[in-house]
Amino acid sequence: MPQFDSTFFSSLIFWELISFGILLWVLYKFALPPILETMELREKKIRDSIEQAEKNQKASEQQLKTYEAKLQDAAKEAEGLLTEAREKSQRLLDENAQRIRTETDRLKAEATQEIDRERRKALQDIRNETADLALLVAEKVLSRSLSDEDHRRLANEALDAVASQHKN
Amino acid sequence: MQDPLHAFELHTIIPLSLFGLDISLNKATLVMWAVVALVVTFLFRAGSSRSLIPGKLQSLAEIMVDFIRGIINDTMGKDGMRYFPLICSLFLFILFSNLLGLIPGSYTVTSQLVVTAVFAIFVYALSWIIGLRIHGAKYLPGILIPPGTPGWLLPIMIPIELISHIARPISLSVRLFANMTAGHVILGVLFGLTITGGVLIGWLPFSFTIALYGLEFGIAFIQAYIFTVLTCVYIGDAIHLH
Repeated sequence: MPQFDSTFFSSLIFWELISFGILLWVLYKFALPPILETMELREKKIRDSIEQAEKNQKASEQQLKTYEAKLQDAAKEAEGLLTEAREKSQRLLDENAQRIRTETDRLKAEATQEIDRERRKALQDIRNETADLALLVAEKVLSRSLSDEDHRRLANEALDAVASQHKN
Repeated sequence: MQDPLHAFELHTIIPLSLFGLDISLNKATLVMWAVVALVVTFLFRAGSSRSLIPGKLQSLAEIMVDFIRGIINDTMGKDGMRYFPLICSLFLFILFSNLLGLIPGSYTVTSQLVVTAVFAIFVYALSWIIGLRIHGAKYLPGILIPPGTPGWLLPIMIPIELISHIARPISLSVRLFANMTAGHVILGVLFGLTITGGVLIGWLPFSFTIALYGLEFGIAFIQAYIFTVLTCVYIGDAIHLH
């Protein structure tokens, strides 16, 4: 095989060592650092971005919680106010209804009393009137003996008297 | 028919000598330079934009970097990251050598056993240096005696571990060399058949050539990957001692 021809061994080894040495040196000193740096920079940037995003998320979650708590408080407060208002209006309604009922009862009682009083008074008046009339008739009957004509006349007189008295 | 091993022959292009050492330039050395130039250009262009939203080339380089970092993390753990430039260079050198070798008329550097052997010995030596530096005198018994081995098994375990350890650089170098050589030999044979077969029969080996070319492309990646993973495993073993 031509590969075992030792004529070229020395030059191959020599140039291999030189080439590889140069390659290693250039890569180590100049070629690899920028690539590695860029990669590290990118990694760092990505890591930082993720960290920042996580931090932001945490902050926004915290804020959301605060807002939710505030919202809940406000809702509770509104609920309280509403209940209070409802109670108050109910109380007012109840009071009004009570007052109206009392007033009505009072007026009704007064009216009843008035009616009763008037009725009694009327009855009294009728009784008095009737007694007077009876006395008057008796007086007339007793004072004379009367003919039929007289009777009629007397009766008419009495009625007239009553009528005139009534007119008065 | 042309000799299928013809493609692996080297010829001196420019004769050079350094203190009596023959360092003549040939096709393989030129391809090595091309590999270095391509890798460096690729990484410089990929790294030049430094954009947080990467372009195509930058994405490719970053995928490669992530891939090698993944191998290192899986085999060596966090301590292995200091060897990242070395592993990265090794991977890219072998990968680009394999890939450049697939260009017709080019030369597959990794089909030279001496080239893969130098890498393998380098990796093996490095694992020893790292192991001795971290564990000191405890390194040798550490690699030869797996923890929890009962005393009566030691006469069997120590030779087995010794052989497996010595086999590491050999298998590492021969695997890459043999895969690259075999692939190109088959491609050469099939292409030779295509030429000699003419239009009537030649299409059959030619279609095989195309299919195998795709396979070789995959093998170029897989062999570079295997070499890198094993390098990481050996260095990781030296760091963690089983």
